[in-house]
Amino acid sequence: MDKLFNKFFKPEVITLESGNSVERPRSKKILILSILFIVVYISLKVTGFNLTIIIKRSNQLTVILSQIFNPNFGYFKNVVRPLVDTVKMSLLGSIIGCLLSIPFSILASSNINKNKPILLFVRFVLSIIRSIPTLIIASVAALIFNLGTFAGTIAISIFTFGIVSKMLFESIETLDMGPFEALESFGCNKFQAFWGSCVPQVLPTYFSHCLYCFEMNIRAASILGYVGAGGLGVLINERIGWRDYNGLGMVLLSLFVLVLLIDQLSSYLRSKLG
Amino acid sequence: MIEFINAGKTYPNGVVGLKNITLTIEQGEFVAIIGLSGAGKSTLIRTVNRMHDATSGKVIVDGIDVNTLKGKELRKFRRKIGMIFQSFNLVTRATVINNVLTSDIPDMPWYRTLFGIFTKEQKMKALKALDKVGILDKAYTRCDQLSGGQQQRVALARTLNQNPSIILADEPVASLDPIMADVVMDDFKRINKEMNITIIINIHHVDLALKYANRVIGIRSGEIVYDGKSEDVNQDVLDKIYAGKEVPEMVKEVVYG
Repeated sequence: MDKLFNKFFKPEVITLESGNSVERPRSKKILILSILFIVVYISLKVTGFNLTIIIKRSNQLTVILSQIFNPNFGYFKNVVRPLVDTVKMSLLGSIIGCLLSIPFSILASSNINKNKPILLFVRFVLSIIRSIPTLIIASVAALIFNLGTFAGTIAISIFTFGIVSKMLFESIETLDMGPFEALESFGCNKFQAFWGSCVPQVLPTYFSHCLYCFEMNIRAASILGYVGAGGLGVLINERIGWRDYNGLGMVLLSLFVLVLLIDQLSSYLRSKLG
Repeated sequence: MIEFINAGKTYPNGVVGLKNITLTIEQGEFVAIIGLSGAGKSTLIRTVNRMHDATSGKVIVDGIDVNTLKGKELRKFRRKIGMIFQSFNLVTRATVINNVLTSDIPDMPWYRTLFGIFTKEQKMKALKALDKVGILDKAYTRCDQLSGGQQQRVALARTLNQNPSIILADEPVASLDPIMADVVMDDFKRINKEMNITIIINIHHVDLALKYANRVIGIRSGEIVYDGKSEDVNQDVLDKIYAGKEVPEMVKEVVYG
């Protein structure tokens, strides 16, 4: 790239009094800025972006927002059950996914698994799982296991499994393999050496990944109801359908408080992991 | 007894690690291997417990041809050979006693390994090993809170806990300060004398090698250029081992002082 650039924009040659010279490459700022401008322009055209609509309809936004920010507190009694469902879904889903990820991430770590075909196969499967959006998994699960929280739990397990496996095998690959070598040197097989030396090293990181995933899942679980997988999403969908923005405000407020609490709890727990 | 018969090692990338090594080490000897970095010291000791394979010739330990061992046999064979590393290779996040206990793992059923359940006897044995190297009081401290010298003694205790008849030490004092290096070498010497364990040690500090070992083996480009008593090591020998490179003053003092 640099060579090509220098061919079109000849570097400036600075010659000192001594006769020695040095080449100063031309600045790339103008080139980059013009490319950026062209790309932005094309995107505006393609997406049909229209500023006048934004200005004309913006008052509608304030109407809706003002209702949302004026929640109907009496509606809270209807929120409790779906809220608890959401927590149950994400908690159970996270636990299943995290447990399931352990054997697969070991198989996906190049420093432990020396069998290339298996390694590549496991990684391929993991990346497929990760590439499917949670909502798609949830809607398929809802088709198979009927509407409701069970489908949501399955969707979250699969999603968590994909993410935690990836994070875990990357942590395993950056481990200090010295202790592993030591355990092998006094007669452990690969499994024993892994369990005795790598697990104690990676356990805190693993728990931290799990907690982080649980945080994400609370948010993910709250919209899964959109595709019929239970939880708060059902309520959100319904309130928007009824144009009951005060009720919607109450749902969102509860969700906000819940996420805040779980985040605090999770980051407290993670700070306790050495 | 460890025997090398015309043993050689060529790495897959063509680098020659060892050439035609013939060598006999009796039970209970304290051998120091000296030589420049890359001369083949590590390769030599790692062929003893098959962390590296010799590609030609034979390595025979207590009558067993090491190169013929496979899987379970190899692991069983390794039980009686301890290994000490330059970087200690401890699980720094775990407590000292848990590190020592790892050397019991190979003999444990899988379910006890899985949940890390060690018996009372195993724990007492581990504590005894720690007592032998003088850091019993640190047993329940986390390893990363110890100094380098203390960590190397934990590694030594871990090795003693497996009851080895041979200890291989790969640059055990290279990352320690001079005082701690002396302390750790003292431990080695004591273990060698009291328990009649063969000790083979790779070492850069010629002064320490001459002070503690009974026998010195000099290696240069994968070949043995000196093998004899440590008292007989003189300037000519060092010149031969270190290819005529200047040997630091401190070493000369030890040799001639």
